[in-house]
Amino acid sequence: MKSLVLKDLYNIGHNAKSMLFILVVLAVGLVPTSGAGGYMIMCAVLCSMMTVTTFTFDDMAGWTPYALVMPVTRREIVLAKYLVLAVFCTVGDLFGLAAGGVCGFVMGEYTVGPQAFAELAVLALAGWAVAFAMGSVAIPLVYRFGAERARVLLLVAFLIPAALCAAVYGLLWAAGVPVSEGMLTVLLCASPLLALVWGAAMYRVACGIFARAEC
Amino acid sequence: MDAILEVKDLTKHYDGFTLDHVSFTVPGGCIMGLIGENGAGKSTTIKAVLDLIHRDEGSVTFWGQELAAAPDRKEDIGVVFDGINFYETLTPVQVGNILRAAYRRWDDRLYKSYLERFSLPAHKEIRGMSKGMKAKLCIAAALSHRPKFLILDEATSGLDPVMRDDMLDVFLEFVQDEEHSILMSSHITTDLEKVADYITLLHQGRMLFCKTKDELRYHYGVVRCGAATFGQMDSADVLAWRKEAYQWDVLVPDKEKARRLYKNAVVDDATIDDILLLYVKGERSK
Repeated sequence: MKSLVLKDLYNIGHNAKSMLFILVVLAVGLVPTSGAGGYMIMCAVLCSMMTVTTFTFDDMAGWTPYALVMPVTRREIVLAKYLVLAVFCTVGDLFGLAAGGVCGFVMGEYTVGPQAFAELAVLALAGWAVAFAMGSVAIPLVYRFGAERARVLLLVAFLIPAALCAAVYGLLWAAGVPVSEGMLTVLLCASPLLALVWGAAMYRVACGIFARAEC
Repeated sequence: MDAILEVKDLTKHYDGFTLDHVSFTVPGGCIMGLIGENGAGKSTTIKAVLDLIHRDEGSVTFWGQELAAAPDRKEDIGVVFDGINFYETLTPVQVGNILRAAYRRWDDRLYKSYLERFSLPAHKEIRGMSKGMKAKLCIAAALSHRPKFLILDEATSGLDPVMRDDMLDVFLEFVQDEEHSILMSSHITTDLEKVADYITLLHQGRMLFCKTKDELRYHYGVVRCGAATFGQMDSADVLAWRKEAYQWDVLVPDKEKARRLYKNAVVDDATIDDILLLYVKGERSK
């Protein structure tokens, strides 16, 4: 499986400079309007979408049949994509945290101190969770519809987790449970775990689709 | 000799095409050539053998085991498809790094020796390579994890005659070990004439024969004759025939017998091309 992850990292390495440029431009445009938190989430989401790009590279090269004759199982091929997704989310999130944090401090959105660092850390966790949840849906979509059609369907990938979050919030509200700032912080801190659970479910879906795929 | 690959009644249905109960066996220490026109089912056979597509019927075993039941057997199988399977920005060194992580028996020194032998620059991106260089890289990659069985799907089609000849030498070296074998599909039948021990002919998804090359070479012949001689021929002695502009070309399974019986006709040795053309484009005896 290490070989599969390595292959994607090599392939995407050529896009790293252009992605870095996009993230820097976004920092200039997004931090003043949406704040460091919004920028951080955007960084993680953009990087997570590079997972779809790795599928495009695979299609162009005819990689998948080759991977299947290597000593790896179909499940491992899918799992490798989720590992790559986790790597991309983490890299994007850490970049967003660093760049967004610096911009936030420079522009006065935050004042240097433990509270600001804690707030940025919580937002970073939430950003990772949003990006991983979106990417988790994107992977089975790509296996089902192919990389190019899946890009169009990524909106669905965004809407499903967003709708689930809204539904949970609605249920809490309907049950008369007020969402306090403390509870929100706990939820945001727990969001990566929730995203991992969501990712595990999507992994099973992706495995089911890929098991039937013919190459 | 024990079979390395055993294919029994392999069947796969598509809309408009059926791979129909294909069976053959590849013993150790030999090269099996898979021939047929475009769309005959060669690539479908190879994909089904490798479990890349789901079989509708039949069984495929490597060393007596199904690949699905013994995935570790993939360590022993090297595959070269038609075209490179690595993204164009990778270099041979990076390809080596990827495959080293995949195969337990990956041999870096062997890989480097193949890169040198095939004159492949280690740090050149694949997109800057010619089709021949890409084919050589795939062959180097397939051989460097020390497989026991090679599957080559039109692997030499991008190579010039000189390089093809070098590659055929590599393949012949490979099968010097009696535990090694090659299944090789190719349009270039002259290559198979040089190296193959067995020939399997597919046509429209069906296997027409699987025979030793020596049987084809030493027994099969093409009778080139006029209508009168053709009319005299016993249909039991005829495999296929084709009407050309001024003569009949008739494929016979026993050229010596044909030479004795039809003194007025020219009886040539049958090349694999002749056999393929007559079976595919000609008419066949029932």
